[in-house]
Amino acid sequence: MRLEARQISVRFGALAALASVSLDVQSGERRALIGPNGAGKTTLFNVIAGELRPASGSVLLDGRDVTSLPTWRRARMSVGRTFQRSALFPRLSVSENLELAVRRGALGGRRRAVPDRLAAAGLSAVAERPAVSLGHGEQRALEIELALACEPRLLLLDEPMAGLSGAERQAALARLRDLPRSVTLVIVEHDIDAVFAIAERITVLDHGVRIADGTPAEVRADPRVQEVYLGRS
Amino acid sequence: MPAVLLAVLISLPFWTPSRYWVSVAIQALILAVFAMSLDLLLGFGGMPSFGHAAFYGMGAYACGKLFPQLTGGGLLAFLAAGMAAGVIAALPIGALAVRARGIYFLMLTLAFAQMVWGLAFQWTSFTGGTEGMSGIPQAVPDWLQEQGQNVWPALRTAGPFYVVALTVAVLAFAGLTAITRSPFGRALEGIRENEGRMRALGYPTYRYRLAAFVIAAAFAGLAGATTALYNGYANPSQLYWHTSGLVLIAVIVGGTRSLLGAVLGAFFVTIVQLVISSYTEHWQLLLGAVFIAVVLFLPGGLISLGRLGWLRR
Repeated sequence: MRLEARQISVRFGALAALASVSLDVQSGERRALIGPNGAGKTTLFNVIAGELRPASGSVLLDGRDVTSLPTWRRARMSVGRTFQRSALFPRLSVSENLELAVRRGALGGRRRAVPDRLAAAGLSAVAERPAVSLGHGEQRALEIELALACEPRLLLLDEPMAGLSGAERQAALARLRDLPRSVTLVIVEHDIDAVFAIAERITVLDHGVRIADGTPAEVRADPRVQEVYLGRS
Repeated sequence: MPAVLLAVLISLPFWTPSRYWVSVAIQALILAVFAMSLDLLLGFGGMPSFGHAAFYGMGAYACGKLFPQLTGGGLLAFLAAGMAAGVIAALPIGALAVRARGIYFLMLTLAFAQMVWGLAFQWTSFTGGTEGMSGIPQAVPDWLQEQGQNVWPALRTAGPFYVVALTVAVLAFAGLTAITRSPFGRALEGIRENEGRMRALGYPTYRYRLAAFVIAAAFAGLAGATTALYNGYANPSQLYWHTSGLVLIAVIVGGTRSLLGAVLGAFFVTIVQLVISSYTEHWQLLLGAVFIAVVLFLPGGLISLGRLGWLRR
């Protein structure tokens, strides 16, 4: 699915969270969105997913203007997302979490799809435990799997690697790399190694402004990026 | 456990020492239907309504207002009218109230319910004011009245309305169980746990919450109609916030997220209210103390005691 965000502006009171930011992601592309804390990355995700109405600008999915559609309608157009802080169903079991996410097909079919999802996420052993009792790494794996279970064509990943151990990081990276090209991927991530491992293009935000957009090599060489972002970290 | 409870209730007219206990059971069964309807909102939907009496009272008033017309239709007409009244009241109230969450939802439902109460209280020409409406028939079907006693001799002492109350409660339990186990019920629990994620997964959460509100109101209206038939009247106390509070206490004491817990809580509250109050005026003190103890030390309610006992065996 092609994603076009055109000149998005969002204000929180006096703060310009996003100032006329545009993002054009081709179908099947792997795009990273980076920038320091407070740059507006999550805000842009919220605008794309439909949680936040921008003050101006528009969001297009496969050329269709969805700016006024609510979150759930965009989700049904195959927009999936993960959250920076895991957004699970804490008191439901891991299986029940995934049952809610698998929406396509009849009820029986949805139930049958759950074991495969558990296996793919490496969560089969904890399937019947409430999500709240999982360790951080398992919660992050479930967080990603909930989004994947909807079979998205556009997947927005908000810091999927945050707080993961080395081995968990490798597993998550492999899971994302194995995604078919029918999925367009936009990833916000502070782990620069992961960003360069996945992304074909990188967009850099700082204080609500887009300061660079290009291939990893171009972005790495950009003096403004080095100044505000890479140089500081 | 539901089977044991059902066996006790079906056999009650055989071993009960007096008709008084049958009347306690009838009132407990009616409160049980009311409490289960609230549990759909509070336990499964995570929506703490403090105005559920509005729909209970509307069910009773519908029977009071329409009984000349409904009598021809018999028992089912009265019960259907009660449910319809709950739905009609819940659509506009719910459309506004379910936009709010948590304490704001609680205050809004309380405010709307008190408006309904105020209307019933002051619009004397339409509602009967403080007096309410009386003379509502029990509408027990003839076959039950006449032949029921031959099939089930204990009904001679218990009175046929016990069968009506028990049947309504069993059907409400079955209906609400089916709803909570359906994909709709599961989605409702998902919304309780994490509404933002449910939106991101493609669920129109507002519609789900409103649907839950209306279904809960329909069952509350059913309970209200049953109480109007049993007692023969509808009056403003059925709409008052005391009634909303009592059913809320029943659900929390019995155990939220469990329909059986709501039933248990309803029996507990009814017994304290009717039985303990004949020994002491301070029954509300006892109820309050139990409520505080449950909230602090037994968050799963009385029903969770049964689960603990089950595990130890």
